[in-house]
Amino acid sequence: MEIFIQQLVNGLTIGSIYALVALGYTMVYGVLKLINFAHGDLVAFSAYVGLVIMMQLAGVISSSVVIIVLVFIFTAIIISAFGVLLERLAYKPLRKAPRLSAVVSALGASLIIENGIMLIWGPRPKIFPSNIVPNINWNIGGVYIGLMQLLVLVISFVLMFVLYFFVNQTKLGAAMRASAIDQDAARLMGINVDRIIMITFIIGSALGSVGGLFIGMYYRGIYFNMGWIYGLNAFVAAIIGGIGNIPGAMLGGMLLGIFNALISGYLSSSWALALTYVLLIVIMIFRPTGILGERVAEKV
Amino acid sequence: MLRKGLFFILAFVATLMFSMQAMAGGVIKIGVQAPITGKFASEGQSIDKAVRLIAKQYNKKGGILGKTIKVYTCDDEGQAQKAAVCARQLVDDGVIAVIGSYTSTCAEAAESIYYKAGVLQTSDGTSDTLVKHGYWTFFRNSSPNSAEAAFTAEFFIKKKHYKRIAAISDYSTFSTDLTNAVVKDIKKLGGNIVYKGKITSGAQNFTPILTKIKSFHPDVIYFGGYYTDGGLIKAQMEQLGIKADFVGGDSNDNPEFIKLAGKAAVGAYLVNVPLPNMLPYDTAKKFLKAYQEAYNESPASIWTLFNVDGLRAILYSIEQTKSTNTKKIAYYMHNKLKNFPGITGPVEWAANGERVGSAYMAYRIGSDLKYHIVYRH
Repeated sequence: MEIFIQQLVNGLTIGSIYALVALGYTMVYGVLKLINFAHGDLVAFSAYVGLVIMMQLAGVISSSVVIIVLVFIFTAIIISAFGVLLERLAYKPLRKAPRLSAVVSALGASLIIENGIMLIWGPRPKIFPSNIVPNINWNIGGVYIGLMQLLVLVISFVLMFVLYFFVNQTKLGAAMRASAIDQDAARLMGINVDRIIMITFIIGSALGSVGGLFIGMYYRGIYFNMGWIYGLNAFVAAIIGGIGNIPGAMLGGMLLGIFNALISGYLSSSWALALTYVLLIVIMIFRPTGILGERVAEKV
Repeated sequence: MLRKGLFFILAFVATLMFSMQAMAGGVIKIGVQAPITGKFASEGQSIDKAVRLIAKQYNKKGGILGKTIKVYTCDDEGQAQKAAVCARQLVDDGVIAVIGSYTSTCAEAAESIYYKAGVLQTSDGTSDTLVKHGYWTFFRNSSPNSAEAAFTAEFFIKKKHYKRIAAISDYSTFSTDLTNAVVKDIKKLGGNIVYKGKITSGAQNFTPILTKIKSFHPDVIYFGGYYTDGGLIKAQMEQLGIKADFVGGDSNDNPEFIKLAGKAAVGAYLVNVPLPNMLPYDTAKKFLKAYQEAYNESPASIWTLFNVDGLRAILYSIEQTKSTNTKKIAYYMHNKLKNFPGITGPVEWAANGERVGSAYMAYRIGSDLKYHIVYRH
């Protein structure tokens, strides 16, 4: 039994990272109907930026709590700015172009960021220092959980609830939902859609940067090309949950993490990725809009 | 016309006699076939430098059998085609022994040419096939790939007496082959494998498979992959409260392993051939000092030192047999040369040209995060 619970804990940890990244996909899709393929690489980029900031701060500040908080804030700011820049350069000029052009542009941006990381930091993995987060482990009835895991879980959940509250309870959130439903109508209601799109990219990138930092701080080793695999998993999570739907992305991320852990644990890790897609196909057959996705009337 | 022809013949005979005299007058030609340029340039150059250093040391003492050693180098660029060209060239140069090449591919491409010419060859190539052709001219100076598996199995069963062994590899050919060989050799020694599985290299999250392994209660987990994954596996074992030992194959031996695992690296075991500066033998310390003085740098890697041992053993055998007849020298090396004090440990050869014994060692990463030798042959 404790093995099963341990696998659930393993799955929830990686699942909440997937969920954070999936939110970036789903929010942008919700507003722009665009799959931002560069999002995964932005996540990888944030891990590298975070590492640089951490190394700089570690020389000046001795308290690791302060370092971690500052790293999260600075990285989020830089990556958000980068996300907005990406939108301005790669997507905005193509907003009136056919959907395919924007997707190709997104793929191009993804390659540029990935190879940019390799050019700046080199192809060998970079390693986060091991002494920033104290290596504390709790043994609860045979189930082990580490401080970093706990941080990942707690911070992810808090951020997701804040986002959920923001989108559903605030004026800005309402404007965002309005833009997602119909941009022209939203404009007629006096909503500055360009500004909403910018805010969407800021929030999505900031959440992604938190995910990237978690990857770096929890697993310590970061690779220039890891954005691809995290991006892919998060993208699948977003679709499983129902793309464009915020609670759906959270649910999808968690489900995918747990599903992966259980497959690896009880079957074989070789099957984890393959069966992930089987799961995706099965869900697409029975619920084409994802688990929490709503049926949208087709425009003819 | 006739007179002119006679003159030519005379001149030719004279030249021939002169050159024969020069040969007897005192040169022993040694060839180096190594990648002086290309991907492995640093390794190839290091081998060439080391061979020239040894030749210089001998010549300073008056050479060998009263003859001076002359070194001929040919650059095979680490490519098989170029290796065959080099082999013919060195044979034409009249060398009696060749050091190299660095890569198994190039050593193998040149092997038959040296064999047909009766030229001795000693290489550090680790591919098992190198000694399978039955050439009396070939002497491997390092340990083959299969030696690592055999050594690891011995370390597990004879030294550590592990009772429940789990083994993981990634999907690469290298890692799969090594891990399979280790598992096979462990079983041969009567060891008990409780789990064997694979991870996806670069997946970062290995907690699911480790949690599964934990349920088998192993006392050791062997990992035959690369340090990028090995370091994380060690760290995540710690995090999941797995008390089993960790033993990593040679590709875990990298400073980054310790950085990735952090404090969890303490207590990990690694199996590999040693770094040059870790060799415990006096001859090794002496040679490294001489190399440092001559070139103001350290040899590129342990592979240079393996080749130096091959050369030293050949030169020693020439001295003992008092002959430059390669057949006689090879006979001596196969049958008489025992426990020759090499830089990389005692040197002797089996009848197929395989070096006897292996240079593999097992290290434990201590609380000072440094390697400590715990087991060697």
